[in-house]
Amino acid sequence: MRIQLVLPLVLLFGSAASAQEYLDCQLVPGWEQSGTKREYTADNLYEYMDGNAESYLLYGFVRMQGITCTSGEKKLVIDVSEMEDSDLAYGMFASNSDPNQPIANIAMGGQVQPRRASFAKGKYYVEIAASPEGDHTAALQAFTTKMEALLEGRNTPPEALDWFPKDNLTSARLVPESVLGLRQLKRGYVAKYAQGQAFIVLEASPESAAETFKKVQTRFPEASPAKVGDEAFQAKTRYLEGICIFRKGRYLAGYANLPDSQEAVSRATKLAIRIP
Amino acid sequence: MTYDTSRRGFLSAGLALPLAGLSSKIGLFQSEISPAGTNSPVKLDYRMLGKTGLKVTTLGFGCMITSDPSVIRRAADLGINYFDTARGYQHGNNEKMVGAALKGKRKQIVLSTKTPGADKEAALKDLDTSLKELGTDYVDIWYLHGKDSPAEVHDDLIEAQQIAKKQGKIRFAGVSTHTGQKELLPWLAQKGVFDVVLVAYNFTMDSGMEQAVEAAAKGNLGVVGMKVMAGGFRSLKPGDPTFEKLHREGALLSALKWTLKNPNVSTTIPSMTDMDQLEENLKAMAQPFGGADEKLLAAKLEMISPLYCRLCGECEGTCAKGLPIQDTLRFLTYAEGYGQFALGRERFQELPVAQKTVRCGDCAECTVKCRHGLQVFARMSRAQELFA
Repeated sequence: MRIQLVLPLVLLFGSAASAQEYLDCQLVPGWEQSGTKREYTADNLYEYMDGNAESYLLYGFVRMQGITCTSGEKKLVIDVSEMEDSDLAYGMFASNSDPNQPIANIAMGGQVQPRRASFAKGKYYVEIAASPEGDHTAALQAFTTKMEALLEGRNTPPEALDWFPKDNLTSARLVPESVLGLRQLKRGYVAKYAQGQAFIVLEASPESAAETFKKVQTRFPEASPAKVGDEAFQAKTRYLEGICIFRKGRYLAGYANLPDSQEAVSRATKLAIRIP
Repeated sequence: MTYDTSRRGFLSAGLALPLAGLSSKIGLFQSEISPAGTNSPVKLDYRMLGKTGLKVTTLGFGCMITSDPSVIRRAADLGINYFDTARGYQHGNNEKMVGAALKGKRKQIVLSTKTPGADKEAALKDLDTSLKELGTDYVDIWYLHGKDSPAEVHDDLIEAQQIAKKQGKIRFAGVSTHTGQKELLPWLAQKGVFDVVLVAYNFTMDSGMEQAVEAAAKGNLGVVGMKVMAGGFRSLKPGDPTFEKLHREGALLSALKWTLKNPNVSTTIPSMTDMDQLEENLKAMAQPFGGADEKLLAAKLEMISPLYCRLCGECEGTCAKGLPIQDTLRFLTYAEGYGQFALGRERFQELPVAQKTVRCGDCAECTVKCRHGLQVFARMSRAQELFA
């Protein structure tokens, strides 16, 4: 997971980019726009991506703008989705990224592959698909670099992702609802490890976190108390296996899917130390 | 995941029933099980999936937006046996998650995925990737994803499905569709090369859609219902006060039961992201659609009808002044529904001068009648007031 501590200058000075500026085929020499600009809202996104629109709506999709660029036989389909906030844009990127490829140093996070590039910056999620078959890395990289500079918004991934211990971490992302399949844990970050998974849910206040903690605890009647953070419990369950959930201030966090609850407590203790 | 891929092995798992002669599709295979960790029994209701011989639970599982595999595993343990994903969901990450969640349960379930492939080669390549990600060497149903007219269902893609069948990589061929269904479903039924259709079908739809579904079923296609919670629920999420209110009142469950009351629908695939949703939806198999459900949905329809354009297109051409009703109301939705006032106004201003200068208040009587109860005059006037 890439860690960026300093906001780039582009953010400090702003770059009042309009849609036309960052959605421009001529950002890269040799490319021309084909057809008109696409524009969709949550109301009609299905017209563009029948069967996949719901996964965008899940991440707070507001609207999408897109263009198609051509250079000879080569074609790039560029779509920029605006999400409700930057965390959701990052979540959209992370859930659609290839877990087998590293996260590149593009805005909050990005990937450039032979036929596809994607990245998140601020509340924008950018996807570029290339055709025909072949390696389009150079063109994708060129557009990505230009668009990253023109789009406004945050360049660093959500802070909470950095709190997850890095040993054996395989992926980390935002889950927009029902973390661990529990409705009470509405929105949070989930890190997958070689074994087990960790999560962090941000509540509005310590009081609301305590209230949610109580609700979650009632879902595990077999739980016993644990000494992690401000309050915690551990349990061995059928579906989440060894689990430990704790509250620290306004955060709810923990580990699940470990062989036993003691292991979950041990790992949760390390996680609690990293949460401010 | 390793398992016996032979048909014999599959049959021994008890999923396919050679009961083609049975006249009724409902309630013949009801059984009771106890969900893990509780003592309360869950009643499972099964229907035959067209001519496939597959016996599926009327509540299936749409895995598209599920993030935690525990919900899928629990559903399978509770007896739900139809699970749906697609190559395109989260760029393949969803298939990987579904494969991991159902590891060790392959013989108990009916698994479907979809290809967005534009031609035979792309589709077959997609299929190989899907099988790898799902950790299986066959899927039960392989859909051509999101086809909205007969023209989109190319012979090339049909050939890909036939090849995949011969190779044993798929058992049945399907098509998924969201719009244009009234034309497409009868065509698919008549074509004779498909086994299953995945259709958008919910309580806001008119009787024409019911007839299209009937045509599909009469053509021996298994019908799987999606978008069963209807567009009016689409932007609502758990935690949203309106969602919670509808949920408390049971409207979401009623919508699911509405779809299942049609015997031509074999199963449904509502999205489920948590255990509570799963528990709630399970009730659809045990409780038939009744008067209380009807009342709830009628109230819901009444609530959304005056404001919500279903984009059925039936009003087009009926305005005496030639206004594009459907488009204008969509622009209004941009502003009022999604807070995108600038976008709504921009779109309105792109209308020809002869249309954007019309004021509905100048007409003595509105010639546009929406049979879904949308207040066309009031909503068009609102659009003109905001954008003109």
